[in-house]
Amino acid sequence: MLHRFLDGGRHGIPQFETEARQRGAKLIEAEHMLLALASDSESDAGRYLKASGLDHERLASALRDEQRRSLAFAGFQAPDEPRTNAAQVQGPLPLGTSAKVALVRALIASRSHRTRRGRLKDVDLLRGILLAELGTVPRALAIAGVDRMTLISRTGAADS
Amino acid sequence: MPAIEPSPLGEPADGLAAVSALRALADQLEEAAVERAMRDGWSWSQVAEALGITRQAVHKKHLRRLIAAHIELRRRGAA
Repeated sequence: MLHRFLDGGRHGIPQFETEARQRGAKLIEAEHMLLALASDSESDAGRYLKASGLDHERLASALRDEQRRSLAFAGFQAPDEPRTNAAQVQGPLPLGTSAKVALVRALIASRSHRTRRGRLKDVDLLRGILLAELGTVPRALAIAGVDRMTLISRTGAADS
Repeated sequence: MPAIEPSPLGEPADGLAAVSALRALADQLEEAAVERAMRDGWSWSQVAEALGITRQAVHKKHLRRLIAAHIELRRRGAA
């Protein structure tokens, strides 16, 4: 149901799926959405991210560092490359919990300027993703030295 | 008890993130290992026994993906 608020085009589900599949994921999570947004430096969301030093490459690197740190806590070494050599799941990938939560937060945060059935703008989605205080995305941002709250306030200023 | 503002890094966040990262890694390892075994001609029952789960569970989790990948699967009872 949440899919209907997302764009099927440039900043939409196909890009999220590409990012998820490249990392061997079976669900689209918030970090895959963020990677897709960061990959388009011409979009508003991409520009905000880039202004904070986060292009696609930097973000992907921060996410790898986050995985390394998490696995190291349990005494494991992260594989150099994602283990995507297994056959991939066919058909559309479902949204994972972090992606659903980001979408709901984006919908709530954009109520003031979005029509009732209107689709989310890329900046709305970016804000929804950034509003998570815990989990993979805020961990990767902290590891990258990016101030999440500053980035949120910038996206908020875009609407005013 | 006052509300706390937990940090995304440090403990206990690192421990919880480790659980999540290990689950994702284990899923990827399972997919690759099951696929390898089926390509080598193992039966569903043998894969299930090696994983310590039921044949039905392996079947349910991997059948569609393996069929889509055109992997030749052994039928039950085949030599």
